[in-house]
Amino acid sequence: MSQQQTKNCITLRGSAQILCEYLKFAINSVLFQRGLYPPETFKAEQQYGITLLLSEDPLIKDFLTNLLTQSEEWIVNKKVDKLSLIILNVATKEVLECWDFNVQYEDGDVALSKEKNETVSSKDLKKIKQEIRDVMLQIAATISYLPFLDCRCSFDVLVHARPDCDIPEKWAEAKPVEITNAQNVQLKSFSTSLNKMETVVSYKLTD
Amino acid sequence: MAKESDVSLFNDVLEPFRRVINTDPPKDRLSVSAKLNFSESNNQSIKEGITNLSNLGKRKISCGEIAETPGKRTRSDSTSSVPPSPWEAKRLKIDLIGAKAQIIKLEARINHQHAIRKEMQILFEEEKACLLEQHKRDERTISDLDDRLQIVRKREQDLREEFTESMKEFKDTKAKWEKDRMELQKQVAELKDQLLQANVSCKDQVSEMQKDMNELLAALEDAQEESQLLKGEVEKLKTKADQCTSLRAQLEKQTFELQQATNKLKEIEYERDSYKDWQQQAKTAQKRLSNMAELEKEVGRLRAAERTLRDAVCNKLLLEEHVHILSSKVDTLQPMQQELHEAKVKISTLESSLEEWRSAARGHGVESARALSSALDNALSGQLTAVAGATQAESQMVQLTEELATVKFERDKVTTKLNDLQNVKKNQESLIHRLQKRLLIVTRERDSYRQQLDSYEKELTVTLSGDVGAGSAALLSARVEQLERSLQSYRDLLATHDQESQTKALETARAEASKYREEAEMAKREASKLRAQRDQLHAHLDKLAAPTKVLHMADNPAAMAQKQMQSDLVSAQEEIKNLKTALREGSRACPEEVQELKKTLENSRIKLQRMKEEFTASAQEYRDVCYMLLGYKIDRTGHKNYRISNMYADSAEEYLTFTLCEDGIEMVHTDYSTSLGELVELHLHQHRSIPVFLSALTMDLFTRTTMQQEIV
Repeated sequence: MSQQQTKNCITLRGSAQILCEYLKFAINSVLFQRGLYPPETFKAEQQYGITLLLSEDPLIKDFLTNLLTQSEEWIVNKKVDKLSLIILNVATKEVLECWDFNVQYEDGDVALSKEKNETVSSKDLKKIKQEIRDVMLQIAATISYLPFLDCRCSFDVLVHARPDCDIPEKWAEAKPVEITNAQNVQLKSFSTSLNKMETVVSYKLTD
Repeated sequence: MAKESDVSLFNDVLEPFRRVINTDPPKDRLSVSAKLNFSESNNQSIKEGITNLSNLGKRKISCGEIAETPGKRTRSDSTSSVPPSPWEAKRLKIDLIGAKAQIIKLEARINHQHAIRKEMQILFEEEKACLLEQHKRDERTISDLDDRLQIVRKREQDLREEFTESMKEFKDTKAKWEKDRMELQKQVAELKDQLLQANVSCKDQVSEMQKDMNELLAALEDAQEESQLLKGEVEKLKTKADQCTSLRAQLEKQTFELQQATNKLKEIEYERDSYKDWQQQAKTAQKRLSNMAELEKEVGRLRAAERTLRDAVCNKLLLEEHVHILSSKVDTLQPMQQELHEAKVKISTLESSLEEWRSAARGHGVESARALSSALDNALSGQLTAVAGATQAESQMVQLTEELATVKFERDKVTTKLNDLQNVKKNQESLIHRLQKRLLIVTRERDSYRQQLDSYEKELTVTLSGDVGAGSAALLSARVEQLERSLQSYRDLLATHDQESQTKALETARAEASKYREEAEMAKREASKLRAQRDQLHAHLDKLAAPTKVLHMADNPAAMAQKQMQSDLVSAQEEIKNLKTALREGSRACPEEVQELKKTLENSRIKLQRMKEEFTASAQEYRDVCYMLLGYKIDRTGHKNYRISNMYADSAEEYLTFTLCEDGIEMVHTDYSTSLGELVELHLHQHRSIPVFLSALTMDLFTRTTMQQEIV
């Protein structure tokens, strides 16, 4: 794949790429599972040893590529704390669901890093992929308890970046979102031993 | 061509070979000539050339051998005759060596040539095989083509046959058609002839018919004349008939008068009969007058009888009243009687019961009622006392049961106390047992101490006695034994030392320990939870302390969706507005169309009007024509009802009505139709023809009017 890897060693860039790839598949999965776009616009693809669905909509594809290339840069520079995929009602602009992808930064393999003069990780890629697969399966299983979205919905991705981060072109500041009467579900996390990704879904609990 | 190509091919094949040959230095003319020969030779001489070459090589070798043998001979000769000079010898040797080298080279070359020949042979064989295969393929293709050609020829033959057949058919059909045509033309001619004949016959017939018609017309005129005559006769007959009717009326009058006369006659006869009766009655009355005195007597008798009868009637009325009163009394008395009966029955039952009582009293020895009552009183009082005693006994029983219950309760208490005491006793016994054991242990301890003391004393005595050596050893062993014993006794003591209590204590201690451990675990869990909470709160605090920027892409799907929705909303609202305005304008929306429609409507109305006018005009015309031609005015008065009035009718009230039925048309009776009895009878009932009737009526009326006019 695309991550720069030589003999079980993952660089910062590679780790960021793994994270962004995970984000791509996770966001697409959520969009498919929550029925935001018609299922016929999705195409099945094998990844992490399971079949995942990717949107074929050119607008979504462009949006995700732009978002994830920028996010990758920020993750490499440790500027991002969290990415939130929010699902909101188009008519009322009310946030119904929030998928938080918390990014934490870890030290990796210190001995190997000293040797290579670069922070690297020696975690096995297979194991990382297995961890990601577990999270993906959990995301697919959320449909059983998340409330039904019975209105016209759309999504947005908010990046919680460090305050010293510059705002690039085509980006803008947004307001942090809040969900009233929120219910949080912590999913499994995975780590490249350079970055740790936690996935939390919070949704509006309706009686 | 083939040969040339073969030559070029061979040249191509031999090019490297030639080069090889060229690179070799030409050692002798033969090889060169052979090479030249080889290169220029035709395809036939290839193998021969190679064989020649090899043969030449062999020949060369043989030549060498031949040359060598003379050399040897010469050598032998030289050895025999002239000794060779060392130079010559040297030269010969050199020559020999050179020759040998040449031989080797040539051999090598020959081998090389052999190899090339073999390669060539293989190549040519392959080529040959290829050519043979191609030849076979060509042959096959040729055979295929021949087959096809044959097939094509066959097909051509078939087609030719078909063509000839079709030509024949065509000719046949043509001939047939020609024949048909001829026949048809003949038929046409015949038909024309027939037509001409028919025309002629028609004309004849027409002329005949005209003649007939003229005859018929003449006949008709005759008939009309006859009818006129007949009518005149009819008129005459009618007048005769009128005379007849007047005669009949006179006859009727006379008969009436005759009847009246006969009636009067009968009345007169009746009066005569009644006069006779009167005469008889008068006679009887005279007789009765003579019997007057007897009659007066009878009257007096009859009066007396009448009085008596009146009295009897009065008596009878009185008696009836009496009877009525008595019957009412009887009615009232009947229930009384019933009651009496019941009372009697009761009395009898009471008497029987009294008898029973009495017998019972006698049984008890009591003769009188008072004694019975006193005995009863006594018995009742006795019963009362017995009841009082019973109540007392019951109350006592209740008290006793209560006491029993209290006693039982006390007994239970006591038994529990007893149990407690027994438990206490058991405890105490166990305590006593333990204490006894302790005592035993203590006594043993004491004994052991005493033994120790004894042993110490003994030691002291031994040490004091001062025996050293064997004695000390014995002492030591004794002491060791003693010490071991004491150790044993300590062990026993330890073993026997209150095991039960120890186990109990151990158990309790263990339970406590597990409890404490659980508590500790709980506490640990809580601590971990609290730590996690603290960490979360810390994280939250950190976030609050270092607030993050929230960024998102400007053209995110949510924003796009919102924009699209707003645009959709705006467009929808606009559409609604447009539709509303269109709805309001309504008819104005497409005035041209409406105008056109109105025009067409107007046109169609006008057309309808014109049609109506036309229709009424034509209908009127039709009616007028009918009236003028047939002499009748026909009005439709209702559904299937038609009124017909004649042209020559005297008044408007003279009309006939007809109704259209399922099986034709029927005339309805009117005042006028009743006046046409004869015509109706003749034409409708006998001829059963309405047109004839109508025409007859017209004729009648016409003649009447014309006659009137003539008369006038």
